[in-house]
Amino acid sequence: MTSGTLITQITDYANRADPYPLYAELRKIPVRREDDGSYLVSTYYEVRSLANDPRLSNDTTNRPPGYARVGQPEAESGLPPSFIFTDPPVHDRLRETINRPFGPPHSPRFLDGLRGELATVVTDLLDAFEGKDQVDIVEDFAYPLPVTAICKVLGVPREDEPRFHVWADALASSLDPQAGDDGQAKAQQARQDMGAYLADLIETKRRHPGPGILSALAPDMTPADLEATAVLLLVAGHETTVNAITNTTLTLLRHPDVLDRLHKDPGLAVPLIEEVLRYEPPVQFVPWTTALADIDVADTTIPKGAPVWLMLAAANRDPKRFKDPDRFDPGRKDNEHLGFYTGIHYCFGAPLARIELHVAVPELFRRVTFSRLLEDPPPYRANAVLRGPRHLPVAIEALTA
Amino acid sequence: MRLVVDLNRCQGFAQCVFLAPDVFSLHGDEALLFSPRFDEAQRDRVEKAAAACPVQAILVDYFDEPTKGAEPHVG
Repeated sequence: MTSGTLITQITDYANRADPYPLYAELRKIPVRREDDGSYLVSTYYEVRSLANDPRLSNDTTNRPPGYARVGQPEAESGLPPSFIFTDPPVHDRLRETINRPFGPPHSPRFLDGLRGELATVVTDLLDAFEGKDQVDIVEDFAYPLPVTAICKVLGVPREDEPRFHVWADALASSLDPQAGDDGQAKAQQARQDMGAYLADLIETKRRHPGPGILSALAPDMTPADLEATAVLLLVAGHETTVNAITNTTLTLLRHPDVLDRLHKDPGLAVPLIEEVLRYEPPVQFVPWTTALADIDVADTTIPKGAPVWLMLAAANRDPKRFKDPDRFDPGRKDNEHLGFYTGIHYCFGAPLARIELHVAVPELFRRVTFSRLLEDPPPYRANAVLRGPRHLPVAIEALTA
Repeated sequence: MRLVVDLNRCQGFAQCVFLAPDVFSLHGDEALLFSPRFDEAQRDRVEKAAAACPVQAILVDYFDEPTKGAEPHVG
């Protein structure tokens, strides 16, 4: 099998429901050169080491002409890239500023303070299951919670969701290597539209501060930087946690023995959620890094300028790091998965995602008695990077208070 | 109940501080401070913090007895 065939297969929608055999094939060559000069890194220690390597850049303008410049707005847009697509020192300055109203050391209790409100959202969503014998976990549960959560965090009106939903989808889709020029053009337009919407909102908040971090950040950031940040956080908050909640539900319904254990011991939810992040990570790979110098790794030299794809979902199932890696085992010790990446670009929203999962998962399985998955595998979204079911129809037997 | 953080492993991801802000805190951007003893009311939060640690540096001991012979376990 040639490497070109493998990457085509990984991005091929036909393999979206189960890419893991392809990742196993990929790991046979830990650092694999593609025909276009990109490098795919798929083994745990190599991915972790590169994610921590300052010679690897998240700024795709370091790529030679001809390669996809993921995350870089066109010059005429006047927008800077968001902090995920920058390197130190710009990255560190932005992330530190944005973290100030969001997390420790300055605001360690901001997210903790949202738990109660998020629990109420979960209760309301589950109450709406009353009288139904089937639901779509994506539309009826996994999607509404993260949207509400990110709106609360940012201070974006929840009722504007139908507007920014479309933009967020276009932007998330553009991270897929298969998006092509048409997808990139749609994403640029969506970024402009969402940016204009958020710029208005930010301007209002500058004059009349309200709850949420956009108000808190308005005095400390340039309008363009804050707009780019708001777009990133709104999209990321939209697309990834939905997949985490849905993947957890799907995985549990595929493992009735684990579901039984969870019913007997609700505390199992916490390590179980971490195991889902290893076993079915919502971000499967990071295709937007670039070598800033020749990098020697696993007997290969990645040349300066080469695009590098870090295959998180493949690394999470590397048998050299995880015993019996294809087994879903919530009791797994020492679960240092890469589901939220690692290094300086470790997922900014990870603590928010965890709080949402901790609130949602135990309550979903405490209150709902599921009879079965109505489609297995379920239909997936097109995206190979932000991978998850588009719908997860399930039959339900009973709902308790 | 007690906990210990392996500060040689800790890289300051601060996930524990988000999840159990009464037990863990950050001094400056990277130095982690924590209460080695915590009470029952914090147990749920501490368990979440230990499970979330990206480098699995938090050891939790639920038995408030002398350490000798006690089996620490993670998450």
